[in-house]
Amino acid sequence: MDIKYINPFINATINVFEDFFKITPVVQKPYIVKNNEDHEWDVSAIIGIAGEARGAVVISFTETLAALLTSKLVNRPVSSINDDVIDTIGEVVNIIAGNAKKGLEEYRLMISLPSIIKGKNHQLAWPVRNLPIVGIPFKTSEGPFNLSVGLENIITV
Amino acid sequence: MKILVVDDSRIMRSIVKNTLKTMYDVDEGFIEASNGEEAFTVLENNRIDLMLLDWNMPILNGIDLVRKLRGMAEFKNLPIIMVTSEAAKYNVIEAVKAGVNDYLVKPVTEKNLYEKVKKFLD
Repeated sequence: MDIKYINPFINATINVFEDFFKITPVVQKPYIVKNNEDHEWDVSAIIGIAGEARGAVVISFTETLAALLTSKLVNRPVSSINDDVIDTIGEVVNIIAGNAKKGLEEYRLMISLPSIIKGKNHQLAWPVRNLPIVGIPFKTSEGPFNLSVGLENIITV
Repeated sequence: MKILVVDDSRIMRSIVKNTLKTMYDVDEGFIEASNGEEAFTVLENNRIDLMLLDWNMPILNGIDLVRKLRGMAEFKNLPIIMVTSEAAKYNVIEAVKAGVNDYLVKPVTEKNLYEKVKKFLD
């Protein structure tokens, strides 16, 4: 796997967690995501990438972690997925994708507005055929989360 | 002193506002908008001293709002700081060419927001 193009996403993720939530996530071993694979996440934020490469960035959380991160931003307890949680994780994926573009400047890329998918064990389907999706698990002191990145013709395995 | 904070994320607007409140006495002077079209309506009806503007928003995005405003005599000199996740150099160049006065990459911290804002408010 060519990790050169994964690193901007990893660095952007660590940066936003440190600045927003005062948490330093620890990256685990990246893996290739299988289409429609089951997982234990409760909510995902997705942002599309267009321009000189097509793809998407997805960040997935448990309800517990998404609520806890949101509570840090709104300074009050949050216990379930509400509008504030949706706002928070949408902004997190927006910042990760936008910041990662700095490390991918040889390609002119545009990012979409974020979308949120919620539901216990929801599935993510990636419609672009033969697009390798790299899953990047992170651990934090408050629980794990997962970043998935697919970029046509840029990220290869 | 009136500051217009434009972002489709309510939490981001709140972070920017709360950070600025710790630095400046502008408690009564914040107006919020959640997209470029709303911001334009605010600008038409209020005297705004500084606009903090997100790039990626629904309906009318930040860069298109800047181009629209810079084409109008009454908003040619409105101070605009773009506050966005878009960190690529070509985005910064595009925004400066469109007419923003300054550019701040999210995530916003107290220090970098203060440094960008002070030259327009001091």
